[in-house]
Amino acid sequence: MSEENAGRSSRRFRLAAAAAAATLTIAACGGGSSGSSASSEPAPLPPGVAPTASEAARFLTQSTFGPTDASIERVRRIGYPAWIEEQFALPATPHLAYVQAHYDPAISGQNFNWLQDSFWQQALTAPDQLRQRVKFALSQILVVSAENGTIASLADSHASYVDLLGEHAFGNYRQLLEAVATHPAMGIYLTHLRNRKGDPVTGRVPDENFAREVMQLFSIGLLELNPDGTARLVNGAPVESYTNADTSGIARVFTGWSWAAPTTTDAAFNGSTTATYPDRSVRPMQAYPQFHETGAKTFLGVTIPPNTSAQASMKIAMDTLFNHPNLCPFIGRQLVQRLVTSNPGPAYVGRVAAACANNGSGVRGDMKAIIRAILLDAEARDAGRLADPQWGKVREPVLRLSNWARCFNTASASGNWTIRGLDSPSSSLGQQPLRAPSVFNFYRPGYTPPNTGIATAGLVAPEFQAIGETSVVGYTNYMQSVIVNGAGVAVNGVRDVRANYAAEQAVADNADALMDRIDRCLTNGTMPAAMRQEIRSAVNAISLTATNGRANRVHTAILLTMASPEYLVQK
Amino acid sequence: MTTQASRRQFLRTASALSVAGAATPFALNLASIAAASAQTAPDYRALVCVFLYGGNDAHNTVVPYDSASYQAYAGARATLAWDQATELVPLTPAVPAADGRQVALPLPLAPLATLFDAGQCAVVANVGPLVAPTNRASYTGRSVPLPPKLFSHNDQQSVWQASVPEGAKFGWGGRIGDLLAAQNANALFTCLTPSSNAVLLSGQQVRPFQLDANQGSIAFSALGSNSLYGSAAGATALRARLTATSGHLLEHELGRVNQRSIEGNAALRTALQSAPTLTPPTGNGLANQLALVARVISARSQLGATRQVFLVSLGGFDTHSNQATAHTALLTQLANAIAFFQATMTQFGTANNVTLFTASDFGRALLSNGDGCDHGWGAHHFVVGGAVKGRQVYGSFPDLTAGAPTDAGNGRLIPTTSVEQYAATMAGWMGVGASDLRLILPNLPNFATDTLGFMA
Repeated sequence: MSEENAGRSSRRFRLAAAAAAATLTIAACGGGSSGSSASSEPAPLPPGVAPTASEAARFLTQSTFGPTDASIERVRRIGYPAWIEEQFALPATPHLAYVQAHYDPAISGQNFNWLQDSFWQQALTAPDQLRQRVKFALSQILVVSAENGTIASLADSHASYVDLLGEHAFGNYRQLLEAVATHPAMGIYLTHLRNRKGDPVTGRVPDENFAREVMQLFSIGLLELNPDGTARLVNGAPVESYTNADTSGIARVFTGWSWAAPTTTDAAFNGSTTATYPDRSVRPMQAYPQFHETGAKTFLGVTIPPNTSAQASMKIAMDTLFNHPNLCPFIGRQLVQRLVTSNPGPAYVGRVAAACANNGSGVRGDMKAIIRAILLDAEARDAGRLADPQWGKVREPVLRLSNWARCFNTASASGNWTIRGLDSPSSSLGQQPLRAPSVFNFYRPGYTPPNTGIATAGLVAPEFQAIGETSVVGYTNYMQSVIVNGAGVAVNGVRDVRANYAAEQAVADNADALMDRIDRCLTNGTMPAAMRQEIRSAVNAISLTATNGRANRVHTAILLTMASPEYLVQK
Repeated sequence: MTTQASRRQFLRTASALSVAGAATPFALNLASIAAASAQTAPDYRALVCVFLYGGNDAHNTVVPYDSASYQAYAGARATLAWDQATELVPLTPAVPAADGRQVALPLPLAPLATLFDAGQCAVVANVGPLVAPTNRASYTGRSVPLPPKLFSHNDQQSVWQASVPEGAKFGWGGRIGDLLAAQNANALFTCLTPSSNAVLLSGQQVRPFQLDANQGSIAFSALGSNSLYGSAAGATALRARLTATSGHLLEHELGRVNQRSIEGNAALRTALQSAPTLTPPTGNGLANQLALVARVISARSQLGATRQVFLVSLGGFDTHSNQATAHTALLTQLANAIAFFQATMTQFGTANNVTLFTASDFGRALLSNGDGCDHGWGAHHFVVGGAVKGRQVYGSFPDLTAGAPTDAGNGRLIPTTSVEQYAATMAGWMGVGASDLRLILPNLPNFATDTLGFMA
């Protein structure tokens, strides 16, 4: 892979504007109303119709990186559907410019730092919160991970990949799928960049890596599905959706793709930095006919005739996967799991899949229709689910941290939101965004914690795959420190991203008022009474006149909440 | 699934559970049950699974060496092939193969060749998931039931560990634990791993305990100091919050994990204080994990452990590309880590009590894709320890000729030995009774022999 890296020294992007654009505080960018012009201001909801603060916070927990006072008020004012449409209208916030502005070829894999910073900058401050959250969900389905050393060093390519997830988050899954298939970051990660057609003389066969995972993980999955996401049974048994012959067949489509270049010479295919574009790592891959399979390509009941071009073959393959009956329930269910609940009812999945199959105007794969269907569904909005002992999902560690940061008006001293290296389960979150252990993400959608009541009930709990006796300690200790000292890179002993608890400290002498503040955006105004009473007692046990008494009361109330199982499950 | 003998185990545990009552934390229940029913354990035995995530390329791990076999290998592998003259270390089995076939290990695995020739390491050839004996004809004709979701990473990891794909509810390591945990004073320390969750270690009763990868155990800092932001009341409240019980299934389980963490880490911390400091090979993450396992083994008396199953892991074996560099580095790390561990066990005097074995998602295709190879099925594996009848290749080393009875296409091996036979051999050594093996390994009755004879 040294060829790829060698190209780095020939260019260096310094876009000062991007650095200057870094937003300083969450409060400064409001809660999501920015970006909508006065002329398109939706009418306020009439009294009695508006969501309560609690309902709004719950909705925002599913649709953003965490509720804020401002976003709660916005949802209450205009309601869920108008808020979603308002979010759809906001422009996407890209990572690439920020990463390029800081890129330094001398530090190789450490360039992933800039993408981490940009991730948090956007997650915590960007107005397009719905897109950010869907983008994060997509990054866990269509995984490219900086755990791969080449990806870590090509942070600009990785940034541009994540940007395309954001761009298509409100587009169409068909375009998203092809953009993913032809992005060089994916080409590197799943090794179809520079994949050559088979050679009958040497016995060389095409690389099947992307071919297999694009089917298993990105589009149709391993088992044939009913429209409601349940497995289709024939004689009581599930049916596998493809065979190894299908994998070998579709692998022939993904041959002859490599770096973007002004030519299609062998040298360009092989990655010569002089033969390819300087910004090749952020351009879609291109086809090289001499390396593309010219024989027939048979998969999933489709045969692409001999001598079909790489581009035409790609289109047929993407169309085939996109139009497969599994696509909508397979992707729809996973998006529900990322945003709302681990075990959506089949009817809920069916409604999401139906919106995916047809947005009402005959269009398949419309992401906006899918997102509306997920967030506005009766099951997602049903307050009765708060009391359902099987409903909801474990909050991902990253979303716990973002929840804290957005709840308590954090600011970045550097303006760069330098929260990095969250991988360790012993001393951190055990979840570093964009650095999953493998293409199988941090956890699988079908993971069941063995030997638990969850397993006995036949349920899944994906996030439990990353939970163990060590990780629970790592998370709690990390938050104990972060709540007081902030998160991110420390300069002169002071961490970059720190909370402002002025509003909480102002009411620290009144434990009920303090608990109301905490409850508002951490537990969406639904903290169970017993939990509240336990925490309230612990708060009252701290003398107000002791050194840092007010601060300690606030910190204690927050940590006890965030350590509680009742908080850790998003309902 | 539940058959007579396992029911005996469940009944014993279930009745004890009902006596203990619902208010007691689950882990405490298990501990008290185990203590109550503990029998005298004459010795200590442990299994250590080294899981090679990504699908280790077995074709380049144990390599045909006699001239005819090597030619078939080298011809198919093209640029991926190890050079026979300069890159292979031939193994010298105690009894040479009757058919004259020879195998070798690549140079990065030379430390394992040394262990093999010293009788402390065996090779189990072409082992993998099977429902029933299968060959090329029955595979292509679909005339035998096949393992589900072949060639899929996550599912074959699960099938290796639990005989069923992703979503499996218990694995055979955990089921060994279920059957033998009564011999441990605290069932909490039956199945342990410094790696991520793996279904192998989950039983129907025992749960895997996640070790801290560096120190073995870590504490909730506020509980350790009995002070949360300066407040003892805060620390008390934190313990109560962490271990809160709930009617919600997910919340309840989180509380249980916290409870086990508090109990287990306290006991581990004490036990590991007197464990020797080890110096594993530098820059070798797998050796670090094995060093931790060795330290826990050294503390077995304090932990009241008589039967234990561990899992450590090494990732990166999905060598679709860049194989020459990546696989060499991985095999080097693997061999150095195993050699370090075996030397440590010898030093501790536990070499005969501990058996290490390798496992992986699957083997890989024989044919090259240019600079790597793709997902396969059967694979060769190593079993290491003083109780291993080493210096022998068990099972049938495959003919690598295209179209051979073990060829599923492109040189993906159809296994000739089942993972369940591999597992049963080690389960039997651990003390699982012959009649109980089939309880934990559902497809075992479909094979000619339950066990393979590689354990003393």
